[in-house]
Amino acid sequence: MRHVRRSSPLLVVLLALSLVAAACGGGGKKSSTSGSSNAPNGGTLVVGAEQEPDCMDWIGSCSGSSWGYWIANVETTPHAYNVVKKGSSWGYEPSNLITGEADLKTSPQQVVTYHINPQAKWSDGQPITAHDFKYMWDQIANGSDIYDATGYKNIQSVDDSNASAPVVTFKTPYADWKSLFGGQYGIMPSHLLEGKDRDAETANGYTWSGGPWMMPPGGWQKGSQLTLVPNPNYWGTKPKLDKIVYKFITDTSAEFQAFKANQTMVIYPQPQPDAVDQIKAGVPGVNQYFTDQTGNLEALWFNNGKAPFDDVKVRQAWGYAVDRAAVVNRLFGPLGVKTPMNTINPTILKDYADPTAWAKYTLDVNKVSQLMTSAGWAKGADGIWAKNGQKFTAEIRSTTGNKRRELTEQILQQQLQAAGFQLTINNAKAGDLFGSILPKGDYQVALYAQVLTSFSPTNCAIMCASNIPNAGNKFSGQNWGRINVPQLTDLYTKVDTELDEAARMADNKKADPIAADNDVALPIDPLPNILLWSKKIAGPVGDNPIMGPFWNSNLWGLNK
Amino acid sequence: MPSYVARRLAYSIPVLLIASFLLFAFVRATFDPTARLRASRDPHAIQRERARLGLDKPIVVQYKDWLVKFTHGDWGQSSRTHDRVAPMVRGALWNTIQLIFWGILVSAVVAIAIGIYSAVRQYSLGDYAFTSLSFIGLAMPPFWFGLIAIQFLAAGPRNWFHLTNPPFFFVGLHSVDASGVVDYARHLVLPVLTLTVQIIASWSRYERASMLDAMSGDYVRAARAKGLSSWGVIFKHAFRNALIPLVTVMALDIGLLFGGLVITEQIFSIPGMGKLFIDSLIQGDANVLVVWTVVTAAFVIGFNLLADVAYGALDPRIRYA
Repeated sequence: MRHVRRSSPLLVVLLALSLVAAACGGGGKKSSTSGSSNAPNGGTLVVGAEQEPDCMDWIGSCSGSSWGYWIANVETTPHAYNVVKKGSSWGYEPSNLITGEADLKTSPQQVVTYHINPQAKWSDGQPITAHDFKYMWDQIANGSDIYDATGYKNIQSVDDSNASAPVVTFKTPYADWKSLFGGQYGIMPSHLLEGKDRDAETANGYTWSGGPWMMPPGGWQKGSQLTLVPNPNYWGTKPKLDKIVYKFITDTSAEFQAFKANQTMVIYPQPQPDAVDQIKAGVPGVNQYFTDQTGNLEALWFNNGKAPFDDVKVRQAWGYAVDRAAVVNRLFGPLGVKTPMNTINPTILKDYADPTAWAKYTLDVNKVSQLMTSAGWAKGADGIWAKNGQKFTAEIRSTTGNKRRELTEQILQQQLQAAGFQLTINNAKAGDLFGSILPKGDYQVALYAQVLTSFSPTNCAIMCASNIPNAGNKFSGQNWGRINVPQLTDLYTKVDTELDEAARMADNKKADPIAADNDVALPIDPLPNILLWSKKIAGPVGDNPIMGPFWNSNLWGLNK
Repeated sequence: MPSYVARRLAYSIPVLLIASFLLFAFVRATFDPTARLRASRDPHAIQRERARLGLDKPIVVQYKDWLVKFTHGDWGQSSRTHDRVAPMVRGALWNTIQLIFWGILVSAVVAIAIGIYSAVRQYSLGDYAFTSLSFIGLAMPPFWFGLIAIQFLAAGPRNWFHLTNPPFFFVGLHSVDASGVVDYARHLVLPVLTLTVQIIASWSRYERASMLDAMSGDYVRAARAKGLSSWGVIFKHAFRNALIPLVTVMALDIGLLFGGLVITEQIFSIPGMGKLFIDSLIQGDANVLVVWTVVTAAFVIGFNLLADVAYGALDPRIRYA
């Protein structure tokens, strides 16, 4: 016993010394850009990142993190096409990986020939070749642990006999072919990965690069930060900064405080009430950019296969019972975003959308009464609609802990009560909601967002009858709303396979009013993007709704 | 004594097995590790992942597979990050240990000092002040106190005094491009303060009550009657006995802290055990969670054992059978 007592202080001192040693180890829309492209050289930029990627095997099942794509994938892997702003619209543009638009042959089979920029090379100096394209296709189409093989499964072969001109032949047409060999994946170096376990080589980070930035050894300190340094062999515009450090700060309040206290110089927060309130209160001396031009669509998604929303008149009545403009104004008014979405397509796909399809659905209690009465409902003495002795009560499901959605639900609850509908709120964890409740159809109405991962409408996935989940397909379809409108299925199927872009746009546009007439879902808002950055940062800073705000960070600099 | 310790450790093995199985079954029943693949447009992605993770097997078989590997030193792979579990837990544990060490050190010193002072100067102005402060401390949730501390001790002073950097940092444990004891200390102050406020408030109340109890004992009166100095009586006789109940509370509290300081780690962006637990739980990462449970339970059991051993050191009348 005495021995123990005497040694305790020594133990404490030793532990203290070891810890000290550890210490020594290591709306109101504003301008979308700041400064000129003549940004100064040097300096370290610290960015506050709200999420940390789970892994960096971009094609593996552990990928899928938006932040991972924005802060590491886009910067270190070459993409055949970028999504860029063209005038007031967004669209694909060939990147500097290829010399120009790829050659597209549409008959008898879809064949795409890319022409690789002869200057394009990996960070180790090896050229980027057609074999890298073939390796990516093989890994994605034939791999066993793949996040999303869409599009690559349509490919019949990749001919790499000409090292600078991969020829991609499709078994079945794939309209969004520009998202392939780029998009959410990028291209990986076959000379370093072929014959090895790709996931093991990349999941915890990698030091090769085919983009302007690269990860130094140990650059990803998990849970803490990710460091990128310039790729000395990048063939495009080399980064001006010495280093970018992404600090992972997952608490919104702490994220804003860190930004205000100069611990970070850029933040890209989700449009949660906390963030909107912080902006409303004022963040002095910084550049701010808010935009409703996003790839997001937050909507009320009705279960079209379950009462009471299996009746189109009830769905339409809800369209007239909800004051969507009031909801949007309450959520995002301080950002200057006040108009509800009137299409089922995200705002950046405006060329594919009819932006007025849902415009008729504004608050109108008379129309609510007409529709409900014609559907056999009658208002009781308590002002609530009833049918066959049963009061109208619906349950809304959304993600637990999402303050914006909880606030939206409360507003909807009040508005619907005033129109004679009882709404109860029963939220669930995101994993349960998206993993089980929605696929199995155990809900009446749900509030969540659809987010684009490529610059293309993906409405067939969520609205074609063939994608309704059921026991037969092991609940794997994504038409969770059980939408079964033959005209929509026909049009959206065409949109997925049509190779004439103008025809795709026209067909997708044509579908919008049909979806609105059936009120298959009720679009609410575009989930605006928010970007705040220090005035010390020079260069073309701005949001890219698909590739994220850091996609051109090689052009940024820091003023002294 | 060694046989007592060995027996206690042997008893803990079934506890660990039951706890790990219950958590494994709970996680598998409530969280779907393939849920994030719902965002994939690929309708077969989920089926592929379920097969890879063996989710189609009965839960007992899944647990048995894990246990066999675990006992052979293979702690498995995270389904969330594809990383090995052992280094993930090791890294998180080291960050949490840093917080706990400094937090407990500060808390113990301050709480004992306050407890002794309040007992010796019972009903004095100081005693009332510390009593009031301890109740305020107990009522302050870490998520609120942490943000207030950031505002008034870091972000606020930087703005008020036009400083380049705040006096104390609150993102992680190190600055970018900086290292050293000073930088480390500037990062530690706020999370440690957030961690200690409630602990000091709680422990100081225990110590005060224990000291008051001890000081009313016959042996203390006898010591005083023998003419021992007041401080001699307090520290040689009363304090030593008053430590026994506090040691019990401290051992339980410290053991549980190794499970992670979820709120503190979240606010101050420290990748410790609490953050690892939350991240893994949300994505149904059972392999990580079960190891987390075993490690946390081991610390709780270990510190309970330590408390029992400490009783003997503090009170020679206690013998182990």
